[in-house]
Amino acid sequence: MTPVTLALVVLLAPLVSAALIALFLRRRGGLASAVSLAAALAVAVAGLALALGGDAYRFTASAVWLQLGTFSLSLGIKFDDLAALMLSVVGIVGVCVHVFSLGYMREDAAKARYFGGLSIFMFSMLGIVFADNLFMMFIFWELVGFSSWLLINHWHERAAPAAASKKAFIANRVGDFGFLLGIVMCYWANGTVNLDELAAGNNVYSTLIPLLLFCGAVGKSAQLPLQVWLPDAMEGPTPVSALIHAATMVAAGIYMLCRINVLMVPDALTVIMWTGVATALYAALCAIVQSDIKKVLAYSTLSQLGYMVAAFGLGSLEVAHGDHSHLVATGVGAAMFHLTTHAFFKALMFLGSGSVIHGCHHEQDIFKMGGLAKKMPVTFVTFTLGVAAIIGFPLLAGFFSKDAILYLAFAKNQVVFALLALTAVLTALYMVRLWKLTFLGTPRSDAAAHAHEGGLSLTAPLIVLAVLTVLGGYTGLYPNVFSGVFALIPIAHGADHTIVLLTSVGVMTLGAVVALALYAPAASDSLRQKSPGLFGALTALQFSFDHGYDYYVAKVQQRFALFLNFLEQIFLAGLIVRGLAGIVGLVGLGTRALHVGRVNVYVYWFLAGVVILWIYASEIF
Amino acid sequence: MAPYLFFFFATFTVLCAVGVIVNKNAVNAAFCLVLCLVGVAGLFVQLDAYFLAFILLLVYAGAVVALFLFIIMLLDVQGRQTAGFSGITTFSALMAFALLLTGLGTIAVKGHLDAPRLNRLAAEGAHLKPYAQQLFTTYLLPVQIIGFLLLIAMLGVIVLSRKHEAAEAAP
Amino acid sequence: MMTASLNEYVIISALLFMIGFFGVLLRRNTLVVFMSLELMLIASTLALVAFSRFNSTMDGNIFVFFILTVAAAEVAVGLAIIVALYRRRRTVQLDELNSLKH
Repeated sequence: MTPVTLALVVLLAPLVSAALIALFLRRRGGLASAVSLAAALAVAVAGLALALGGDAYRFTASAVWLQLGTFSLSLGIKFDDLAALMLSVVGIVGVCVHVFSLGYMREDAAKARYFGGLSIFMFSMLGIVFADNLFMMFIFWELVGFSSWLLINHWHERAAPAAASKKAFIANRVGDFGFLLGIVMCYWANGTVNLDELAAGNNVYSTLIPLLLFCGAVGKSAQLPLQVWLPDAMEGPTPVSALIHAATMVAAGIYMLCRINVLMVPDALTVIMWTGVATALYAALCAIVQSDIKKVLAYSTLSQLGYMVAAFGLGSLEVAHGDHSHLVATGVGAAMFHLTTHAFFKALMFLGSGSVIHGCHHEQDIFKMGGLAKKMPVTFVTFTLGVAAIIGFPLLAGFFSKDAILYLAFAKNQVVFALLALTAVLTALYMVRLWKLTFLGTPRSDAAAHAHEGGLSLTAPLIVLAVLTVLGGYTGLYPNVFSGVFALIPIAHGADHTIVLLTSVGVMTLGAVVALALYAPAASDSLRQKSPGLFGALTALQFSFDHGYDYYVAKVQQRFALFLNFLEQIFLAGLIVRGLAGIVGLVGLGTRALHVGRVNVYVYWFLAGVVILWIYASEIF
Repeated sequence: MAPYLFFFFATFTVLCAVGVIVNKNAVNAAFCLVLCLVGVAGLFVQLDAYFLAFILLLVYAGAVVALFLFIIMLLDVQGRQTAGFSGITTFSALMAFALLLTGLGTIAVKGHLDAPRLNRLAAEGAHLKPYAQQLFTTYLLPVQIIGFLLLIAMLGVIVLSRKHEAAEAAP
Repeated sequence: MMTASLNEYVIISALLFMIGFFGVLLRRNTLVVFMSLELMLIASTLALVAFSRFNSTMDGNIFVFFILTVAAAEVAVGLAIIVALYRRRRTVQLDELNSLKH
């Protein structure tokens, strides 16, 4: 099979699955899940075949879809190393999540809709991965937002998921508005939005275009100030959170940034970097005070996404090779590396939390768990590996990718380095807190006391992802096929290497030790008990954005809208529309008055006409 | 002699015309119209258009006004007490009168309708031959169209009368 | 006494026309209005013949033929309408024939 055919199989298999489910299998949950799983397997197998096929399987192909004069919209596939890496991640995590969903959603009544949503999500995400121009990417961007809405809204009978899905969609939409503006500006300035043509380098470099395009990433990857939707999105089923809001969809923003790396200018990169740093720090602070297991992981995702965005914003490095040096796009390398490893361990932890939730009969409060280490051993081991990876335990995947980012920060901007290190301390703190409260100690509720391991469909994906978490950091293990990306990863040498290594190990240890010491496995938050002020401050920090948006919409925007409505009623509806109608009516009334019915009067009008003609003909005026 | 005749016929015509519009009785008005036509025929004779004068009397006075009289008799219109004229009527009438005076005055004073004296001009319409010559050559098309017009008028009258009868005859 | 020249004929014609117009304006009986209308037509024939005579052409005279015919046709149709109207409304007074009033 040619690469193009394989790519089309990858792209269209989930679409076919979604169509089948939507049209025929609405009430046949079992069959729908099988169809969706088959599509996911097809994606994974074909995707890995494409990705691992090497240079022979790297291509670009496109077809023109719309032609309007000089403007043409084409749909195409750009399959380079970056796309191959992303495709592998999406494929593997996708399969794991599908298998997990088989067990997790077994008793759900709307299983078919769920699997249909998963399929349409896979299709949309793969569209973003394959997109070769920004318009096509935008189309699939929106589709991904729709799939996310559909899946968050799965239990729509309850008010919370419905509101959360709306919030997610609207926040994404705000970002997408900037994204679209950026695309249009890019087209206007450069005459093209095709990624290959942009990469050719004859571009207009402005600060505005990359910043507007970054707005899309702000929305989709939940950076400040649009991060408000991601914690709420945890209302969806846990496998959805694992797939969409941890591994793939939120990573789409990072992927898009890497794609448009060629348009970046230093000013834009600075803004991006500080946004990422701010998000990372903010999310880490908020995660410390969460009591819902999924919310902790959501804020953790936010924080790690901030890391990735900051890494991208840090930009390129001069790398010495022998006696000459050249510029390497280390920002792209570090961000994508962390994206890959993060996908593995975050999906692992989400699925692990799903297993915990399933085992505890849908209990999500970590203060009601405890002692699960003995009750759910597989989950415990895999989850521990995930926690270790995220806090940067040496030799696991997260260690290598986090170190790359820290080294990059150290080399480019020491302030950012310090802030990221601080965030790493907090990361270790809240992750170890989560781990301790959930798994160690004694069970604090009946649900935890009767917890049991789920079936094979729940544990197998955990094991697969755990293996990847352990091995995923060793870029040497990856076949050479991803060299286009992995060659860009910043590697520390010498003194820098030592400093960064010591820093990362140090912050990890510090955070872990503090967490282990501070948090007793009790029924309530130890921090709240010991310093309620700090606890209150952090909680307020968490809600500050929501309150800000509430205030803006309710007070500012609503009043403005009412004012505009008032203007519209008076001028547009009243003066112009009804005024015109009124004028027509008046004219009608006037002409109606002429119809007296008596012939004499009509003769008078003749006379008047004669008079006027006479006056005109006599040329008095 | 000729000027006297002109003056006589002119005055006669105008007075009869005034009589048409002033008479309360419709039959009297119709008779005044006939007399007016006679006056105009006389004026035509003054202008050496003998054939036209004859035709005028034959067709107009003989047929058209007779038709008028038939209808007046048929409808049996009584002369009624008419209410006075309304304000606007008086105003327009005065206005029209003023216009008339202006117009006539203008023509009388400023009208330079210079024409040679009658006895120096050839009287084209004095004989029959020129009429036939023109009617059947230059003005043939209008003649045909007039024929159609008359046909249509006739059909129209028949339709107008019949329709009403059909409506009346329906039980 | 002056000999009649074109001016005088035109004045007479104008006078007759105006008198006819007054009739149309001021009379309420439909039939009399119609007769005044005929008067206006007669006035125009007079003017035509006068001009034709004083310019030595035949055109004006010929035109009188057509006016005559048209007047006849118009009278026929008009009177048919009046008769039909009378049968419905039992009146030929103009101020009572005002059902087209808004």
